[in-house]
Amino acid sequence: MKALTANRLIDGDVVFWKAGKWVERFADADLFDDAAAAELAEGQAKSQPTVVIDPYLIDLMESDGLWAPLSYRERIRALGPTNHPTHGKQAEGGEMIEALMHADGAARSSGRVNLIKRK
Amino acid sequence: MYQYDTLDKEIVADRSREFREQVGRRLAGELSEDQFKPLRLMNGLYLQLHAYMLRIAVPYGSLNSRQMRKLAYIGRTYDRGYGHFTTRQNLQFHWIKLRDTPDILDHLAEVDMHAIQTSGNCIRNVTSDPYAGATVEELDDPRVWSEAIRQWSSLHPEFSFLPRKFKIAITAAPKDRTAAKVHDIGLMIRRGRDGQLGFEVIVGGGLGRTPYVGPTITEFLPANRLFSYLEAILRVYNRHGRRDNLYKARIKILVAALGAEEFARQVAEEWAKIGPEGDLPDTELARIRGAFAKTAFEALPAVSETFEAAKAADPALARFARNNLRTHKKAGYAIVEISLKTVGETPGDATSDQMDVVADLAERFGQDDIRVTHEQNLVLPHIRLDDMPEVFARLQAVGLASANVNLISDIIACPGLDYCALANARAIPVAQQIAQTFADQEKAEAIGELKIKISGCINACGHHHVGHIGILGVDKKGEEFYQLTLGGSGAEDASVGKMLGPALPYDKVAAAIDTLVEVYLRERRDGERFLDTYRRTGVEPFKEAVYADAH
Repeated sequence: MKALTANRLIDGDVVFWKAGKWVERFADADLFDDAAAAELAEGQAKSQPTVVIDPYLIDLMESDGLWAPLSYRERIRALGPTNHPTHGKQAEGGEMIEALMHADGAARSSGRVNLIKRK
Repeated sequence: MYQYDTLDKEIVADRSREFREQVGRRLAGELSEDQFKPLRLMNGLYLQLHAYMLRIAVPYGSLNSRQMRKLAYIGRTYDRGYGHFTTRQNLQFHWIKLRDTPDILDHLAEVDMHAIQTSGNCIRNVTSDPYAGATVEELDDPRVWSEAIRQWSSLHPEFSFLPRKFKIAITAAPKDRTAAKVHDIGLMIRRGRDGQLGFEVIVGGGLGRTPYVGPTITEFLPANRLFSYLEAILRVYNRHGRRDNLYKARIKILVAALGAEEFARQVAEEWAKIGPEGDLPDTELARIRGAFAKTAFEALPAVSETFEAAKAADPALARFARNNLRTHKKAGYAIVEISLKTVGETPGDATSDQMDVVADLAERFGQDDIRVTHEQNLVLPHIRLDDMPEVFARLQAVGLASANVNLISDIIACPGLDYCALANARAIPVAQQIAQTFADQEKAEAIGELKIKISGCINACGHHHVGHIGILGVDKKGEEFYQLTLGGSGAEDASVGKMLGPALPYDKVAAAIDTLVEVYLRERRDGERFLDTYRRTGVEPFKEAVYADAH
């Protein structure tokens, strides 16, 4: 399972792909179980250079019955910094935030690594 | 501090206007991200994990109260009510929006500040002694030379596209508080046999992937020949530095490849071509020296009865005085270090409210002078001992009275994976755990000077290589692990730490530090710091204890 993420150009905020637009909460993101659909969305995202910077796909894993980013780096992006629990998206709380906090997957962010390699 | 003239102000205002236009073009799609990125970086604007980060230059770590208040205002208005002081004496805001940045640069320009020289392959903001102009140890005021270098190097067309970034540090005291030996150029002001002022020139130090303590290429450079010599060094580097490999592009790699002697020979050859025409006229140096705001010291007794009585009545003040005060060149004054390492807080962070209080104290009690240290603390360099009880009380009221400067909880930590797009592991929570472990102040004082430095990746913004104990976060298949090094120093006795053994998982680091400290307390002889004991015993007793515990 994958999701598509980027940082929004105008404010740098972490955003996720949802039906051709960008949302701020991971809980609202489109989840792709089909690789071709994910890559198609990634291609469309790249055609929005005045909206987002560096879109890439992230791998997901199951946590608390929900889907969470597999890489710790991506979970920090989806939550916020661990030294300030009231900063970032984690401040909102909720089921999905809890699931992300409990996730213990460990892997490099492959989408991010590929992005760096391409540069 | 240095007072901007009309020209300085115009340059900064122009730069701000230019960036506003560039941001407008980027948002309109006239500039691609690839085109815009180098422009925003030249204005200190990075994209990190959660937002943009704006790195603001604090030239040689010197601020006045008006500037500090402006930083507080920016933190409150455009960030989340705080800022992060860095190991290059700068300030970073971590929650900045691109759309706000032109306004922020305008605000900074109002108080003669900017983000020039905080990014890009140029000569970066100069590091200098945070005790400059206050310490009895110094031979000259290094800020004058730092400012001259700032003016010479800012937007220098020949040196704006170097093979890689370039960092200069200047100190005028035998006690090095700038990490000069691990800079691209370290300048140490020396007095020649005839009394003439000059510089020991160290080139090719650095941290990061390939750490080096820089070799001295000139023992004594007459002070009036500094700028032609700097130009010669930069030209040799600009010509021969590796542009083909990012990891080999710093001057340290060139110096190591050529050897210090051959590098020095090439510099001397270039220097001869440039000649004294490349030097700063004495009149210009005198102008810069004269443009520093004058400090007016009163004639005071060396001992303040008010302060002595207050210390006797308040053990917390006495402790603060023991650990955070340094000898001032004028009787009746002290240099006051304000620790930004309160146990449980993020190293180097100050809230906007705290910044305002520091600004008030500087204005009312401290000759309007504030410094930032490369160890992520603040300094009020000129405080009357008579005023210390009040200064301390006001610091205490906003959580800035931690009496731990140079002690084990005075930890340098980079932002790490909590914020930084380059990081492999978190640094801040590791620092917080260690600080909690040694929260007992009696114990911390008994341990004495112990510098722990933590970086979240090999780029070493947290200076881990030169920590008495260095901690490097590494990524092992997506998990945070930490490599410990021992025996580093960024001071005048500079050395690069040696690796202790296999990397430890996140939850074992604080316990390992505790074990290292136990070994030190067991092994130390009279007056030895942790570093001295390590240098005498070598790594073995430490290694044995940590890995015995780990298994």
